[in-house]
Formats: sequence, C-alpha cells, structure tokens
Amino acid sequence: MKPIISLKNLYKNYGSRPVLKGIDIQIYPGQVIGYIGPNGAGKSTTVKILCGLITDYEGQVYVKDMNLRDHLVEVKRNIGYVPELAELYDVLTPIEFLSMMAELYNMNKDIALERITKMLAAFGLTNNMNDRMDTFSKGMRQKVLIISGLLHNPDIIILDEPLSGLDANSVIIVKELLSKLAKDGKTIFYCSHMMDVVEKVSDRIILINEGSVIADGTFDELKQQQGDKSLEKIFANLTAKDSLSTAADQLINAFNYPN
Amino acid sequence: MNFINAALLRFVLIPSALYRKIGVNTQQLKVILNAKLIMDDRRPNTFQQIKKSRNNKPIRFATLGTMLLSALMGLLFLISFMFGKSYETKLTIYFSFYVITLASILIADFTGVLIDVRDNFIILPKPVSDKTFVVSRLLHIFIHVCKLVIPMILPAIVFLILNKGVISIIPFLFVTLMATLFIIFLINACYILILKLTTPSKFQSIISYIQIAFAILFYAGYQLVPRLMDEISISQYEISEYAGIILLPTYWFAGAWQQLYGWDNTLQLWLCLTLTIMVPLLSIWIVIKYFAPSFNQKLSMITGSTGEFLNTDKPAKKNASSFYSSMLSKLFTKKGVERISFLFTWKMMLRSSDFKMKVYPAIGYIVVVIVATLIRDKTFSFADVASQTKHGIFYTLALIYCSNLLLIAALGQITMYEKYKAAWIFFITPVAHPGKLISGSIKAAIAQFFFPLVLAIFIFITSLAGPIAIPNLLLGIANELLVTAIAAYMGVSKLPFSSPQQIDSGNTIRVLAAMTLGIVVAFIHYLLYRIIVFVSIFAALSFVASWYIFNAVSNLSWQKIYRTYNEI
Repeated sequence: MKPIISLKNLYKNYGSRPVLKGIDIQIYPGQVIGYIGPNGAGKSTTVKILCGLITDYEGQVYVKDMNLRDHLVEVKRNIGYVPELAELYDVLTPIEFLSMMAELYNMNKDIALERITKMLAAFGLTNNMNDRMDTFSKGMRQKVLIISGLLHNPDIIILDEPLSGLDANSVIIVKELLSKLAKDGKTIFYCSHMMDVVEKVSDRIILINEGSVIADGTFDELKQQQGDKSLEKIFANLTAKDSLSTAADQLINAFNYPN
Repeated sequence: MNFINAALLRFVLIPSALYRKIGVNTQQLKVILNAKLIMDDRRPNTFQQIKKSRNNKPIRFATLGTMLLSALMGLLFLISFMFGKSYETKLTIYFSFYVITLASILIADFTGVLIDVRDNFIILPKPVSDKTFVVSRLLHIFIHVCKLVIPMILPAIVFLILNKGVISIIPFLFVTLMATLFIIFLINACYILILKLTTPSKFQSIISYIQIAFAILFYAGYQLVPRLMDEISISQYEISEYAGIILLPTYWFAGAWQQLYGWDNTLQLWLCLTLTIMVPLLSIWIVIKYFAPSFNQKLSMITGSTGEFLNTDKPAKKNASSFYSSMLSKLFTKKGVERISFLFTWKMMLRSSDFKMKVYPAIGYIVVVIVATLIRDKTFSFADVASQTKHGIFYTLALIYCSNLLLIAALGQITMYEKYKAAWIFFITPVAHPGKLISGSIKAAIAQFFFPLVLAIFIFITSLAGPIAIPNLLLGIANELLVTAIAAYMGVSKLPFSSPQQIDSGNTIRVLAAMTLGIVVAFIHYLLYRIIVFVSIFAALSFVASWYIFNAVSNLSWQKIYRTYNEI
C-alpha cells in the first residue's frame, strides 16, 4: 500500500533553535495516528507544516503523492484541521464563521448550510447558532472548531488536542465520532497530551522528543518493547530525564524550610 | 522601577500609620502598588509603539515617555495665555484645554491601566482585605494622575512665575487640584452611570464611543477655538462679560484663581471660588455614598467572554441587514474567495470595536475640517457651485478629492485585529489566490466608506449644477479609485484582519504618498475642468486603469504574502 502522508527528513529551525531534526514518518490510509510528545517536542510544528501554516521547512512532505511545496492548495483541500482552542473571529456567529469556512473550501452553499445546521445541532448549539461567538465558553468555541475541520468531509483529519475545554459528554461524542470516521476509512492524525485517550483511539502511536521520533508502533508493540505498562508510564520512561517521582519529592520538600 | 515611580511610591506610603489605623495591610499595599507600577512602566504608550515595531526590545521606561508627552501638551496649552484681556479669560481657556485633554487621556487609562480586570483572578482570591484593595486602587489612580498632571502644568507654572510672581502659584496649584478632582469624579460618575444603564458586556464598547467623541471634541477644540477667537479680536476679549459664563466649570476655576490671587471680592468671583471648592467635594461624596458600593461588583463582570455566556432558550433570529451587503457584494466582486472576503470584511468593520475606535474618529475630524474651512472662508456660496464659477469648481473638486480620507483611514485598519491569530483559517483552506482575499476586503471598505459618501456628493453637486458636472464628477471618482488601487497595490501583503495593532511606518508613507498623488491628480483635473471631451476620456481611462490594478491585486500569489507570515 502507498502511504497517504509521508514526511521525509523534515527539518525546521526557529532562528538558531532546531525544532524538528529529521522526522521520517509514513502514514497509510485509514490509520489513526496518536502523535505524542512532551511540551516543545515539535508536535505543533509538524502539524502546522502539514496544514500549510509553516512553509519554510527543509525536507519533503508528500500527501497523496503530491509534494506539499508544489501542490499546497490541492493538499489543503484534502485536509481538515482542528486546532486547539485557536483564536476565532469571534464577532461572527457560528453560522457566519462556518459558512465562510465552507466557501473557502469551495463547498456548495446550500449543502454547507444544511450540514452546518445539523452538526451544530448534534453538539447542542442550535440555540446559539446566530449568537456572536464572543459570548461563547471555551467548550462551545472548541465545538465550532471541530465542526470547521470536518465540514468539507476531508480524507485526512488533523486534530491538535481537540478535546480541550469540552465537557465530559462532548468528549464521549468526539471519541465515538473519531472511531466512526476511522471506520469510514479516514486517516486521522491525533495530537494530544491525554495518554488515556491516545491509548484508546489510535492504532499507531508515534512519540517524538526534542524534534526526533523516539518510538513508533501500535500500543501493543510499544508494550512489548517497554514492558507491559500504561502509555503514560511508557511516555515517562522514554521522555523524562529524571525520575518524575523525584520531582514530586522535590516539590514537597520545598516546604521543609528551615529544616 | 525608575526613580519617578519609586519616589511617588514612597510619597504615597508616607501616611502608612494612618492607613493601618483604618484597617489597611500596608505590607500588601506596598507589594500591590509596586507590581502595578512596574507593569505601568512596561506598557507601551503610543510614542513607544513606533520604536517597538523596529526593534523587539522589551518596553522600559514607558513612564518617562508618558511624562514627556504630557509636558509637551502642557507647553501647547500656553497658547491660551495669548487670548483675552484678563487672566480670568486666559485661565478659562487654559483650564478648558486642561480638562478636555486630561479627561480624554484618563477615560482611556481607566479601563486599560487602572481598572485591571486581571485583579479579579490575581488579587481577589488572595487573603487581601477589601479596604487594602480599594486603597491600593485609589493610590494607584493618584500616582497615575500625578505622573500626567505634574509635567502637564509645569509650563503654566513657569509662565505664571515669570508674569505674575511666585505667589500666584499657590492659588493655581489649589485650583488645579480641584479641577483634577472634578475630572476624576466626572469620569467616575460617567463610568458608574454607564454601568447602571447597561450590561457590563456593553460597557467596553460604550467607553470606546465616548473616547471617540472626546477625540473629536479635542480636535474640534484645537481647530475651532482659535478661529472663533480670531473673530472677536484676540486681545480685547473678556469672557466674564457673558451672562451665562457662570455655568462653565472651567470658568469657575479661572474665577477662583482670580479671587484668591487678586482678592477682587466681586460676587461672581466669590461664586466661582465656592463652586470650585464645593462641586468636586460634593461629587466625591455623592459617588462614595450612593454609587460606589455596587461599582466594584459590577466592574468585575466586565471580564466579558469567560465569565458569562449566553444560553438562551429560544433560537436567535438571523440578521436581516445582510441583504444590503450581499447585494453590494454581487455588484462589486466575482463569485468565490473575493466575495467571501468582501462579506467577511463588511461584517468585521461593523462589529470590531478595535476597528471602529480607529476609524470612526476620522469621520468626526473630516466634519470638523469642513466646518472650520467654511467658517474661515467667508466668500463661499452655493451659487458658485451651482453656476460652476472658478470658486465653485474649486469647492466641487475639494469635496470629491477629500471624500476618500475616510477610506484611507479604513484601509489602514482592515489588516489589523486584536485577535489577529484567527487568520489561520486563510492559511489552512485551499485558497489559490490570496490576492482575492485582499481585493475583496479593499472593495468592502470602498463600498462601506467611500461609496455612500461619493453617491451623496454626486447627487448634491448634480442637483446644484445640473448634468454638466457629471463628467467631472465621474473623473474625480475614477481618480480616487485609481489612487486607492495604486496605494493598495504598493502596500498589500497582508490579509484582512490578520496582523496585530501596531503603528506601521510603511503604512504612513503609503498614506502620505496616496494623498500627495491625490493632490497632484486633483490639480491636473482643475486645469482640465472645462474641457469636457478630455474630462470624459480621462474618466474612462482612469476607470479602466483602476479596474486593471484591482485585477492585479487579486492575482497576487502566496509567495508575496508568506514573507509576512510564518508564525500564526
């Protein structure tokens, strides 16, 4: 099978600070990738390159056999992006905002409007769909962002911490939705810090640290390599330099002055 | 912290024993004030924003910059001592400048600096007593006002010492103190009134409208007062001869000074002195007694987005006003990205308070300029315009060629937005020609800020002068569009509402260039005015050229734009 996304030798620096140091990943159609790593590991940078937000990277990115540099617009058409609590033009209403997104994806107006109304209703936002979003809570905004990423029914869905701010019920809805989308053959690229969710939803986990891939495989494979542990423990083993319980001890011991 | 802040902090903490007696924790008080003053010092004033865009050094010594600016303002106030026979007149004008300027600065600072909503998250959850909190806020306001007022009145103090002797300073300082109290409680009362009348969520936008009004008033004052004064021979003017003058608060302050300094003992001056002392004190009392208790509580609700959100039971209705904008969008733009951008920009211009704050004052300035010009030029008559005499032609052209000032102001702002990072949506969607986003937004600005005005002018002039004026009007409009298009083509690389609010020196140069070009074109037009054939040909050419340039803008590629973005 041909990979749907392939990152080859991807490098990116912010000034003199390297963020990505040669990432090589092949992703196949229908896979649900859990993309994890500590803060500053380069997760968001990878995602931003894939979505076309960052263009001055080194290395090659292919999506559906198209080079990202040469076919940026066509690639964007195939990708849905759900950012984490991103800024919004929040003086617009959800209907106005999502209709605009739909049109930017070249969707038919009437189809888009019907889809938007249904999706907002599914998230329980029917009564707010003509209110300006500046009065919305974090969770309501995140729901709008999730809809904006799925609206054009893309083959590849990139989610950056999509559950931020959502209440427990909405989290269940989104998790169910992800597994249904995966069943439909969508390729999902899921970035998160929530190990328990990643463990459950993804069928392949990629762990990056300081700009390089340090583990790649199914959860079971990772367990075989690292001992039969939870993903949280595996993550800590691979990425934490010092023991985390020592850090907690140090925090507690800070109270002990002047002993 | 710089020495000015340190000195002021030490000064306000002198009566610490007294603070402790009324139940204030002076340790906490000092810590809170210290932090606030450090933050003040790092908040850029307008003067320093220019520097910031050039190098990214962190802002320091903002206090010194603010003080310098306010000293310059104070220097400008000295103009008032040129007017009138008596010091009553001179000081009335002086205090009018003082009150308007200080009020307009403070009304902005009160929301931004002095009533910091972050206090609600940071200070209130800590074990800080209400009294400590209130006193810290009052002292912070006091320090802030001192930093503005002291440099502002310094030039006047020097002037008074030179002309009236050192002794004249004592009543001046007293009167200034009262005037300052008057301003502070005027603003306070204004805030409280707004909070009483509306919901906290509308508070910010009402404050911004008041700021807009102040800015216009301020400008009108500087433009019109000297001109009106001109009429009534500058040096012989005596303000106290007007019967109703006693109703003007700034006259009270001048009268009070006159009474204290000259001891003239007239009834009117005694009345002034009484009002000067009583009104500020009385207003403090009223504010504290009746309004203040609910004030803080209500203010804490201004936080806006996170605190409250609508959860209405009924579905909201769709706006009906979109009909007009969608009609215009079909008239001006091609289907697709350009039209989306047009409608988006149209809505954002109407709703972003940021944008309105920056652009709406321009409407006021233009009205002021027109009124000022008409007052000055006694020879103006509508008959001239109607019969298109030389004078009439001049006014016709001036009207048309000035009509895009508003548009220029709007175009300078459509790329800026407080939450500029929201522009990610343009980068992740398959937009092939970002130029269409830009041309769509420029057309929206033209439709909202240029079209209605120019249509009114067109109807007005045509109804006065008849159809003979039409070719010239069309040429004028076409030329304005051309100038706008050229300016847009020279400057564009930014998408609508996609960059932070900052003073962009490149933008200023573009505006100046556009205006210069406009003047040159207007002059050539003036020379050709009566040769209708030429005028018609040029009008057609100009329309074609602007259409061509707009097309070029809409075909801009991502390469041109990516240079400006990468870190959204």
